[in-house]
Amino acid sequence: MMFSLPPVGAGLPAMVVNDNAGRLKPRGVLRFLASKLAPTVFCVLLVIPGLAQAFDLQQLSDQLAKPDVIHGRFVQEKHLRALPQPLTSKGTFVLAKNHGLLWLLKTPLQQDYRITAKGIARRDANGWQMLPGKSAGAEQNRLFLAVLQGDSSGLQRDFELSLSGDAQNWNLALTPRSLLLKQVFNRINITGGELVSTIELLETQGDSTLLRMQDSTSSQPLSDAEQHDFAE
Amino acid sequence: MTLPSERTLPRLFLILLLAVLALAGWQWRDGAPLSANLMELVPGTAPDALELRAEQRMQEPLNREMLVLVGHTDRQQAVAMAQKLGEQWQASGLFEKVQWTLQADLPALRTQLLQGRLAMLSATDRQQLIEHPDAFIQQRVQTLFDPFTGFSLVPSQDDWLGLTGRIQNSQPQHGSVQLDIGSGALVADADGKSWVLLRARTTGNAFDMNLPLQVAALLKHSREEAAQSDAQLLAASGLLYAANGQQQATREMTWVGGGATVGILLLLLLAFRRWRVLLAFVPVLVGMLFGAVACVALFGHMHVLTLVLGSSLIGVAVDYPLHYLSKSWSLKPWHSWPALRLTLPGLTLSLITSCIGYLALAWTPFPALTQIAVFSAAGLLGAYLSAVCLLPALLKGADLRPARWPLRVSEYLLDRREALLRIASTPVLLALLIAFCVGGLLQLDSKNDIRQWVGAPQQLTDEAQTIARITGYQPTSQFFLVRAANQQQLLERQTALSERLDQLVNLDKLQGYLSLNQLVSQPSEQRHVREALSKLPAFWQPLLEVGVPVEALKTELATLQALPVEDIDSALTGPLAEPYRALWLGPTEDGVAAMVSLQGLNNPALLRVQALDLPGVELVDRLGELNNVFAKTQISAAELKLASCVLIVLVLILPFGLGGALRIVALPLLAALCSLASLGWLGQPLTLFSLFGLLLVTAISVDYAILMREQVGGAAVSLLGTLLAALTTWLSFGLLAVSSTPAVSNFGLSVSLGLAFSFLLAPWAGRQVHVATVAESAA
Repeated sequence: MMFSLPPVGAGLPAMVVNDNAGRLKPRGVLRFLASKLAPTVFCVLLVIPGLAQAFDLQQLSDQLAKPDVIHGRFVQEKHLRALPQPLTSKGTFVLAKNHGLLWLLKTPLQQDYRITAKGIARRDANGWQMLPGKSAGAEQNRLFLAVLQGDSSGLQRDFELSLSGDAQNWNLALTPRSLLLKQVFNRINITGGELVSTIELLETQGDSTLLRMQDSTSSQPLSDAEQHDFAE
Repeated sequence: MTLPSERTLPRLFLILLLAVLALAGWQWRDGAPLSANLMELVPGTAPDALELRAEQRMQEPLNREMLVLVGHTDRQQAVAMAQKLGEQWQASGLFEKVQWTLQADLPALRTQLLQGRLAMLSATDRQQLIEHPDAFIQQRVQTLFDPFTGFSLVPSQDDWLGLTGRIQNSQPQHGSVQLDIGSGALVADADGKSWVLLRARTTGNAFDMNLPLQVAALLKHSREEAAQSDAQLLAASGLLYAANGQQQATREMTWVGGGATVGILLLLLLAFRRWRVLLAFVPVLVGMLFGAVACVALFGHMHVLTLVLGSSLIGVAVDYPLHYLSKSWSLKPWHSWPALRLTLPGLTLSLITSCIGYLALAWTPFPALTQIAVFSAAGLLGAYLSAVCLLPALLKGADLRPARWPLRVSEYLLDRREALLRIASTPVLLALLIAFCVGGLLQLDSKNDIRQWVGAPQQLTDEAQTIARITGYQPTSQFFLVRAANQQQLLERQTALSERLDQLVNLDKLQGYLSLNQLVSQPSEQRHVREALSKLPAFWQPLLEVGVPVEALKTELATLQALPVEDIDSALTGPLAEPYRALWLGPTEDGVAAMVSLQGLNNPALLRVQALDLPGVELVDRLGELNNVFAKTQISAAELKLASCVLIVLVLILPFGLGGALRIVALPLLAALCSLASLGWLGQPLTLFSLFGLLLVTAISVDYAILMREQVGGAAVSLLGTLLAALTTWLSFGLLAVSSTPAVSNFGLSVSLGLAFSFLLAPWAGRQVHVATVAESAA
């Protein structure tokens, strides 16, 4: 009952309407780094959203927004300073404009991920399980959806974009603007032709992640199983 | 006609007045010694020093910080507005710190996470590491490849086992505020708007007299500015309540004080038709001065509530001069000194009985009432002295020719009374009255709550609740105080408490809590983690298979083994510890102590049960305790009332004899009973404050009974004197009833009712023949 108590005087009232914003501080960053940055940036990169300012960016954006469904294979290489060999993982992905992303890791271990408007889910023996804490981030999903729908406001605000090359062979560099992002990574390089082919993320600590999308095709519709995965 | 003593008295009094004035000047040398801290006025529930310190620690930010949400349908605009306001506020000089972005010190965070790998691991992760090391390693391998949990603050090569990532993910998170990565602002989405969080910490606290008003003014200005850009501001802070309280007190003081003054002056002019009679207001001013000086001298300052309630003293203080001024209806010609001589015994009795009544208030455990009692008693003494020593000199030679109509009114009233008595005799009337009382008392409800002390405006309360809803933060005033012999025991006790609180959280009875054991685990647990780590090489094959070099793992293990057991003090140094820092009370006389703060509680009774059989754990619930004290005080107030009556009877036995004294005291008591019954009939609750009001009425209305009994100058003149006295008193107390602070208005209402009944009953005081004869022959 006390939480709804009409505040009293100068000392008591405030007991009731305290602000704990301070308590957010470091934890906010942690949460954000753990759950938000990765999928957001990652998905931003898979579908370059409408970049309305320059003609060529707009063109690229249109070009990438065309296909409804993209199927492909990926190779992810995590280059860690301390390791002579990168940590390499492989698998396939399905990106569906109106549904979301399926990320199916095959080696060295098998694990399926799904990002939809509802949040990030991981598949275990009992089916898709929403990742705790990540399903609650309404803002993160909103942003993700905006990105899928070609809304550039988030990306343009947070990154400096520079595009080079032509429609068949282009290179887009994203440099973070915000102080917070600058503390995490230096740059993101994306290359591609008709579709995205590589994404490279350079972290400030010296590590980097290289994602190669191979055999991407936009000719294949969603299979029944995939539709089922998105629907579940 | 003037005695020698009456020549020196005014001079002596002027010397005293000058001395008091000088003292007042010295007291006010650094500005008004006023206080608006409500906590000073509520009874201390005698907490021990540690509890008091804990309470102050919890309250400190509340009285210095302001939380503002800047809302706009467009997130960018909301952020821009927050930035603009943030800069303006910072420049205003009112705030020590204004913050709307998150400045995360990532290197410091990394260091803390690495340092706390043993100490900060959550219970679940600890359990997995100890009981299922194979699953622990398997999960680590997964996260290494998981593109969606890829960003850990600490790079993998510094933490191959992924302990920091687990700590990162297990940090408790409540509320729905999110980080906006671009701007670094904290944003919550609700009601179709984005709300950006802005925090400001003031240079002083809510009890500085000027600061709250300045902050409130700045906020008002900012609101208007935001409204021009279609942005909305929501604010919550103890400062805003303080500002509102101050403004309200000033407003009410003006209304009550001003209204009473104007009313009384008008009444004086209408009745006596001489400008000089306005000098009767001198005792009032002197009374206020004496009251204020005594209050500051005794308490170091005066509370604004004392001033509001004290301003009702005007009506009582003016009664002294009225006593002898009203004799001008019967004494012709009227001379000031003889009139005073005639009424002096009555005046003195009246001062004594009123002071007894007021000082009875001082024995209640309420510092507020003690202050008011001291203010009033000193004020009455000042008013009495000036009425007795100074005023007659000022009025010397005044030719009073009072209007006839007031006398006719009182004669008419007495006629009506006679007519009434012819229809129904006194015993019959008494029976009727008692029936009325019984009927009313049966309907009387008692109600006591600290909330009555403040008229918190709905808007402030609503905003605070909206902020709580939007951000998901609902801090509660209750907290747990945990004591122990040492840190290990303290954390053990907190863990025991946490287990119970977790159950409440799972049952949705509690939203969350903050406890030191969430930040740092017990030393014994840290040692368990270290032992479990030493067994890990048997299980880490999967990590080697994906390419993690065995050397790196071995080095890391050695580093982990070498990490010292972290104690609370060292755990509190890092940036992650910020919210926890205030909870740590440190070493005490008999060990250590810490608090556990709570969020979103909906049943305080449940909390008390949690602490019952946990040693060293105690729930601190100040509001609950206060309400209990209120209820208990109600009973002691009733006892005080009876005690004060006995005292008054003793004082009155001398001039009136036992029978007369009993009769004089019985009337106010009956009046008080009638007022209680009226409250019942009116459907008004009986509060502690109405009871205090009645306590006061008893003292004041004894006066009327004395006046009526003495009958100096005949029944009609005496009734007229009573009427004037009652009217002036009612003018000041009755106006309190319009106060928006429930406590004050309750007080005003019960005093008003009490006065009305006292006046009605006063003619039954009988007639003290010999006193009147002696007095008149002396004149």
